[in-house]
Amino acid sequence: MESGEDHSAIPKRKRVPRALRGGNDPDPRFTLANERTFLAWIRTSLALLAGGIAVEAFTHDIFDDTARKVLGTTLLVLGGLLAVSAAGRWLRVETAMRQRRSLPIPLWIPLIALVCAVAAVTVLLAIWVTNGF
Amino acid sequence: MVFRSVRPVPRRPLPHHEDPGLQPERTVMSWGRTGLATAVVALLLIRWYPSVGVVAFVPVAIAVVGVGLIQLSQRRRYRVQVAGINYEKVAADFWAVFWMTVMAVLIAATGIAGVWLF
Repeated sequence: MESGEDHSAIPKRKRVPRALRGGNDPDPRFTLANERTFLAWIRTSLALLAGGIAVEAFTHDIFDDTARKVLGTTLLVLGGLLAVSAAGRWLRVETAMRQRRSLPIPLWIPLIALVCAVAAVTVLLAIWVTNGF
Repeated sequence: MVFRSVRPVPRRPLPHHEDPGLQPERTVMSWGRTGLATAVVALLLIRWYPSVGVVAFVPVAIAVVGVGLIQLSQRRRYRVQVAGINYEKVAADFWAVFWMTVMAVLIAATGIAGVWLF
C-alpha cells in the first residue's frame, strides 16, 4: 500500500452483534461479496415492492377491489419479508465465515419462487378471464 | 463586512489497491445501484398524494435522505474497503445493512398501509 502509515482508513468496529466479533476475520473479498449478495437481494425485494404498488395503482380495470388489494399486499409483504431474510442471511453467512463453518443453505428461495409463480399465474388468468383469450 | 474568498477544500485522493477482482469498486457501485432503486420505489409512494396530501411525502423524504446518506458515504466506503483489501481485514458493515433493511421494510409497510387505508 502506498500510504502504509495512514491507519485512519482501517475499519473501526462500532457496536456490532457478538456474532460479528467472534472467530477469525475472513478474507475481506468474501465479506465484500457477502455484502453485494445482500444488496442484490435487497434490489429483488425492492422490485417486489414496486410490483406491489404497481398492481394496486394500475390494475383497476382487471381486478375488483379485494383481489387487487390482496395481490398488491401479497407482493408488498413478500418484498418486506425478503428484505428481512436478506439481512438474516447476510448475518448468518458472515458468522459462518468467521467460524470457518460451511455456508448456510437459503431455504426461503424455493418459497419466493413459488409465491412469485403463483402471483404471475393469477395475474395471467385474471387477464384472460377479463379480456378473453 | 469583509468577504473572504472561499477555496474549495481539495479532496483527499482515493487510495490504491491491487485487487484484480476490483472488489471495492463493485461493492461501492452495488450500493449506488441499490440506492437508486430505493429512490425510485420510494417515489412510487407519491401515488397516494391525491388521497392523503403532503403526508405521502414523509416516507419518500425519509427514503431520499437515506439514499442521500448512502451516496455521501460512498467515498468513505471505498476508502474503508480498499484499506480492507490492503490489510487483508475488513469489518462487516453491520449498520449499513441494518438501515438498508429498515428502509426497505418501511417502504413495504407504508405501501401496505396505503393499499388498505386509502
